[in-house]
Amino acid sequence: MMDYKRIVVVPSLLLLLMFTSTFGGQDIAIRGGNILTINDAPIENGIILIKDGKIEALGQDVMIPADVRTIDASNKFVMPGLIDAQSRLFVIDSELRESRTIAPELNIIDAIDPFIKEYREVLAQGVTVIYVAPGSRSLVGGRGAVLKLNGSKTADKMVLKTDVAVKAAIGVSPNNESSSLTRLEHYSSIREALLETKVYMQRKEKYDRELAEYKEKKAEYEKKDGEREAEKKEKPKRPAKFRPNPTYEVLAKVIRKEIPLQIEAHRVSDILNALRLADEFDFSLILDKCTEGYMISDEIARRKVPVIVGPVSTSFVDMPRLEYRNHDMRNAAILSRRRIKLALGVSGRDGASSKFILSAAAMAVANGMDKDAALRAITLTPAEIFGVADRIGSLEVGKDADIVILNRHPLDALTQVKTVLIEGKVVFERKTEQ
Amino acid sequence: MRRRIFPSILLSLSVFSHLVVAAEDTQSLAIRAGRIWTVTDGVITDGVIIVKDGKIHAVGKEPDVPAEAKILDMSDKDVIPGLIDAHCHVGLSLDIFAEIDEIVSAVTPDMQILDAFDPLAEDVTKARSSGVTTVMLAPGNKNPIAGQTAIVKLYGNKMNDWVLKRKGGVKLSLRDEALMSDRRPTSRAGLMALLREQLNEGKAYKDDEYDPCGEVLKRVADGNVPAYICACTVDEIASAVTLVDEYGLKAVLIGAEKGDEIADIIAERDIPVIYAPLLLFSKDKDLKRVVKLANSGIKLAFSSTAPKTALHDLRTSAILATKYGLNPEVAIKSLTIHAAEILGIADRVGSIEKGKDADLVILNGDPLQLTSNIEMVIINGHIVYKRQEE
Repeated sequence: MMDYKRIVVVPSLLLLLMFTSTFGGQDIAIRGGNILTINDAPIENGIILIKDGKIEALGQDVMIPADVRTIDASNKFVMPGLIDAQSRLFVIDSELRESRTIAPELNIIDAIDPFIKEYREVLAQGVTVIYVAPGSRSLVGGRGAVLKLNGSKTADKMVLKTDVAVKAAIGVSPNNESSSLTRLEHYSSIREALLETKVYMQRKEKYDRELAEYKEKKAEYEKKDGEREAEKKEKPKRPAKFRPNPTYEVLAKVIRKEIPLQIEAHRVSDILNALRLADEFDFSLILDKCTEGYMISDEIARRKVPVIVGPVSTSFVDMPRLEYRNHDMRNAAILSRRRIKLALGVSGRDGASSKFILSAAAMAVANGMDKDAALRAITLTPAEIFGVADRIGSLEVGKDADIVILNRHPLDALTQVKTVLIEGKVVFERKTEQ
Repeated sequence: MRRRIFPSILLSLSVFSHLVVAAEDTQSLAIRAGRIWTVTDGVITDGVIIVKDGKIHAVGKEPDVPAEAKILDMSDKDVIPGLIDAHCHVGLSLDIFAEIDEIVSAVTPDMQILDAFDPLAEDVTKARSSGVTTVMLAPGNKNPIAGQTAIVKLYGNKMNDWVLKRKGGVKLSLRDEALMSDRRPTSRAGLMALLREQLNEGKAYKDDEYDPCGEVLKRVADGNVPAYICACTVDEIASAVTLVDEYGLKAVLIGAEKGDEIADIIAERDIPVIYAPLLLFSKDKDLKRVVKLANSGIKLAFSSTAPKTALHDLRTSAILATKYGLNPEVAIKSLTIHAAEILGIADRVGSIEKGKDADLVILNGDPLQLTSNIEMVIINGHIVYKRQEE
């Protein structure tokens, strides 16, 4: 994964820097703000120094070199770029209507349309990174990716990480119809696919072993062939050709814990089924949506499964939806109090809805979630869940300079994002009062 | 013209009288509050509200507290008037597949939506926790003349306590949904022709004939009861304005999503607007429209159109509007007193004033912050909701 990032992101960045305006490659200092680092205590009246797109230094007594551009953030709040862990931005709905039920080999990157203009409005609300995954129409719908809203014209250049997780869904009905029988069927179909994958893995292992044996024997046979013709042994037989299966290849990675399985589940029974699958096959599970999770928080906490809770409020969703029948805005607060690793998502009706991530966090706070926990759940925790916390999610030396400057506390309803930086480059600046 | 008089679900008064919601019975209350948002007379800090017989008996810094009053210490809380959802379908058992419109006929002014209201429905119980204390129930948008709206409280001991107005006005729909392939009207112009035909019949209606539809249409055509006209696009709103000009209707616009495009035309005629749920929009351009409407001097109310959005989203809509530039004072008035004025119930609800119904919402912070939550809801002096952790 590291290699991929280096190969794609760094050269593309260099290219970007080469073509962008004056501020592109310049070092920047952000001065005077109330810095919400997220991983550590806030720093009052602090300074952040940015060099080559990374945070070079931060603290109260950081020396600002004479030649750097300085952004005045006094009386403002400075925090890491926000992450919507349940975004639909750049994803064209029709691309998600895969008719096959088990299709983990699909990659969301192939359904990305970078020319969707709404991303500017999302960026203007401080969102610098999104996680997009296939929809819930298929039981196993494909692999999700973490993207940066850096304005690139191709999906590859937006990618921070691909193959983040394989997305699955249990008990989600596209047409608001659901019976316990179909939900059970979802569970057993996914289980069956995983069992078949295990058989596939065994077969492949056997083939690999036999192939190795064959090569060894063949070499020996050919050697003997040249030496003593009289003692001719039986010619070794090549094992039957093995046909690799792309579906099982991806699911094998899930079973080997190389890639997590993200399971969307809403009702208690579906969440429990997701947990049972993880118990049986011992893969890394990410619970997604988890609408009724508050009813069985102990079960989730016991297994230390990370959860993406969303929608926090059904405000930004087309209602009514059967899955949200028992939706409770206290869900995030209750799960968070059980020390469950928790990210919040908007899970809105369209791509532009990602802009409401701060509103979603504020509503979680209204319903009992700790303010700091809510801010962490839209920055550092999703970065950890998606395996990109080495790059983003908090304001720390060495991390990407993805930074948001706001005029009020981020959870204040009237807060306005003033400036957004991605990798040290100013990508949004509010000119006028809204 | 023959009209189909359809059977309506009749709920007798005796049924309602048994529908007592479990609530703490309170004779009189003295509520000490950190901040009282009277809405009509500013914010009182560290004030007291005296509630007696379901009404607001006194409000101020230090009013006389009756000896028998139960004291509620809310000195670190904010108190606002009960919120008013000016257009929704709560309690109409409108689950996903149900229909609220009598679509067999396009003209059903005699339909009274209150007949379909179930005060014990699950969504009514849920709604109480959202801070909404009064709602206007309305038929849907599938009939050009859809029926009579009702204005109800979300709590009552008896039917009379629930209902503020059985016949709140008549809902008209200029939406595309009102056009159907198998009955009149099938086109936009046909819809307008049908409405004119009906309003003309209403004007010509004489009291000596029995016609439940004609009777209602007469009151609408004469401007005696409000016509709640659902119109969202610019052309629909323009058609609504045309009807207002032609007949002198006492009109209120419902929806008016794109009303800002012709805000001056609406403002000129003093037509108030019950705005579509703001949460249905996600583009900045659409989120800012309501601000332009308000800035044109048009009187606004918010609506949830529940179950399209949840009742608790009523306040969320108003808060979101402030984020996009709506004056916070206008936002809170639109949720309360302005809505009451538009619906003609400002003598009873919409502000914290002596003599008005004791419909109060207590929050743990600024009502226009998403981080504030509703701790208690009082309707007619009864505590109908108390927040519980987990």
